[in-house]
Amino acid sequence: MKIHDSQHWQDLSVECLRFFGAMSASVSHEIRNKLAVINEKAGLVEDIAAAMRSGRAPDPDRLETQARKIVDQVQQANRIVRALNRLAHSTDESDATVDVADLAALVVELYGRKAAMAQAVVRSEGPDGGVPVHTNPYLLANAIGLCLGAAVARVDDSRALTVVTENAANGAAVRFGRLAGGGVGRSELEGECPGLGTLLETLDAGLAMDAEGGELVLEVRSLKSDDPGGHQ
Amino acid sequence: MKVLLVDDEKELVTTLAERLGFRGVEARWATTGRDAVALAVAEPFDVAVLDVKMPRVSGIQLKKELERIRPEMKFVFVTGHGSEEDFRIGSAEADRYLAKPLDIDALVETLTEVVSP
Repeated sequence: MKIHDSQHWQDLSVECLRFFGAMSASVSHEIRNKLAVINEKAGLVEDIAAAMRSGRAPDPDRLETQARKIVDQVQQANRIVRALNRLAHSTDESDATVDVADLAALVVELYGRKAAMAQAVVRSEGPDGGVPVHTNPYLLANAIGLCLGAAVARVDDSRALTVVTENAANGAAVRFGRLAGGGVGRSELEGECPGLGTLLETLDAGLAMDAEGGELVLEVRSLKSDDPGGHQ
Repeated sequence: MKVLLVDDEKELVTTLAERLGFRGVEARWATTGRDAVALAVAEPFDVAVLDVKMPRVSGIQLKKELERIRPEMKFVFVTGHGSEEDFRIGSAEADRYLAKPLDIDALVETLTEVVSP
């Protein structure tokens, strides 16, 4: 096992906090938007009720529609909060067996608004049985998030980005495509995201550009040889 | 008073438009910068209420485009972000700056103030 110096851990701490801060800010913004809609919908129900008291004909359908839309906004906000909660709990264990496809889907969900702001639509795919790998769940989510951010910034003209997780020889591969032009190299990405190199080193993960497929590939290696995923 | 509401959240702008209607304020809405520009080209508005952060075009950029079309139009920025940076930009660039969730009475008061000569 490689021994890292104090600078390594300091860089890692800064990156971990930055990522959690970025996700929290994005989610809080999204929830605030949901609350703003709920606030207006509830206000509209009050306005309709006041109008009815002043003699306007009762319109139960209109009230019912608004109530249903409030419930819909609450459900959307709840889904976002649940995703952030899952990210928060990914710090509970520093090494665990995780389904990398599930983790990638979680990061994609958390990244939804950021992607929308960049006019990109991101979806995730994984095999039915999942892709179990023994690793540090939070650090891996952080690495997937950095790769996703870099991929969204370089998505091709279709503006559609797919995050595909698949089993690989010694763990998993998370593929981000399709990127415009020749994509991006690891050194360029590490220049953009100062914490990326430290994260990859800690996770013993690799990063490569599949230029032909237009995909950025995060190679996740199992940190234990007796990984329940059965990887060698 | 005629108001143009622009926010990428359709449920927000449509409901706000309806609520402003209950208060005697004529409001039209758009969920993209392109639609907002088309509305401003088609008809004049006294004031535009713009979300600071939207996909494709920011509220700041959209304000500049709308100003070119309707130089007399006033602007109110709205944000759900609440960051220091948003507050600084919003306060500097628009006639007024409000944070979500909005208070409808405060919004009407603000709109009335910015269009008053």
